[in-house]
Amino acid sequence: MQKIQRNPDVLWREEEGAREEALAGLDRGEDAAEVGTALLFANGQMLVLNMLGADIWQSCEGKSVDELVAGLLEEYEVDEAVLRADVTAFLAELAGKGFIRYA
Amino acid sequence: MHDWIVKAPLTINWALNNSCNFRCRHCYSRVDTDRELDRETLCAALARVAGAGVLAVNFGGGEPLLRPDLLEIAACAAGSGLQVSMNSNGYLIDAPTARALKGAGFAKIGISIDSHLPEVHDAFRGVPGSHERACAALGHLAAAGVRTSISTVICRINHGQLEELVSFALQHGVEQLNVHNFKCAGLGLANRDELDLDPGEWRAFYREALAARERGIGIDLSFDDPIIASLGLKGGAGSLVKGSVCGKLSLNIKSNGDITPCGFIPIVIGNIVTDDLAELWRTSPVLERLRHKEPAGKCVSCGHYDECLGGCSARALAIGGDFNAPDPHCWEE
Repeated sequence: MQKIQRNPDVLWREEEGAREEALAGLDRGEDAAEVGTALLFANGQMLVLNMLGADIWQSCEGKSVDELVAGLLEEYEVDEAVLRADVTAFLAELAGKGFIRYA
Repeated sequence: MHDWIVKAPLTINWALNNSCNFRCRHCYSRVDTDRELDRETLCAALARVAGAGVLAVNFGGGEPLLRPDLLEIAACAAGSGLQVSMNSNGYLIDAPTARALKGAGFAKIGISIDSHLPEVHDAFRGVPGSHERACAALGHLAAAGVRTSISTVICRINHGQLEELVSFALQHGVEQLNVHNFKCAGLGLANRDELDLDPGEWRAFYREALAARERGIGIDLSFDDPIIASLGLKGGAGSLVKGSVCGKLSLNIKSNGDITPCGFIPIVIGNIVTDDLAELWRTSPVLERLRHKEPAGKCVSCGHYDECLGGCSARALAIGGDFNAPDPHCWEE
């Protein structure tokens, strides 16, 4: 099974207070998917991540997709098929921008 | 995600000095201050910048290698957790210097080359032999393990030679060819009539560049100019930030520590030694204006304004006298 490798040239940071804002929104019943909490930046391309995206970015290094999904299922109360689809789509976007590769 | 606000600049372009061994006809900083911050002050400022959340610093000038303490300053920046890069004319980069730059923590170095033709480059840069030395620098840096790019300011001497520039960059093994749009700042403003293209020529250049990038040319062809939005390409930094990134994702610091939105906007918003960067980023009225531009002139009725936001704010200010003025490079009627 291929493992995910983050491009070491990608700059990233989690924005101060943004995760707390997203969690507070969740408590109010809002959609956290629309709240940016972190950003990736490399070669003039920037990607804004919501809370799930930030968690995927921070935990994907050296893992297979199966391992990544299994780990996230421990954190998120969501159907595995839905989560896998979200993760797969997000990883494809990261790979398309050169932010990750598989080895 | 429209309410999401970047809490600190991602990158800072930092002029360490304005001294230079070249005499380029488009230099934006030749008329700038000679005052330089000392190494101790710089290192303390770099640590504060990193602490504020900035991710990367790109050193420029002037020619940064004319600072005898460049390696120590770069090591300070890298030690503070910043990704460190630099723009250089390459003239002073031999093999030992390239290895020392790698050791100091430089991740990437861009070498300025204005033409694939040595005689054209040398005449433009005012130094015989500079093209040969720049090419040699690319090889030395690659051998030392430093990633390289070629930076080319598009102007009258090279706008019709994109294909040749790409071939030249591929021959020299660089990862990226950065084609910078011409800025009307410093000597670039003084020599604008001689060097700048007219709007139709800019449109033709960008159409060619977009076509080259779309068909795949074996190299990262980079060009960030907000006016290309009308050709169907959105901003390189992604849909979050439209128009100029100056003051939205990046800032510029001059050799005396003065902070400006970018290297081509001569409006000082503070000083990195005496002011708090995060506070300036949040409260500067100048940055506020850059982030909330209003259409003026022909932009009012233009269907592309929502994507380009009037184009380059530096050019608008230099030629139109206001950030909100239409970009003088814009070809839209």
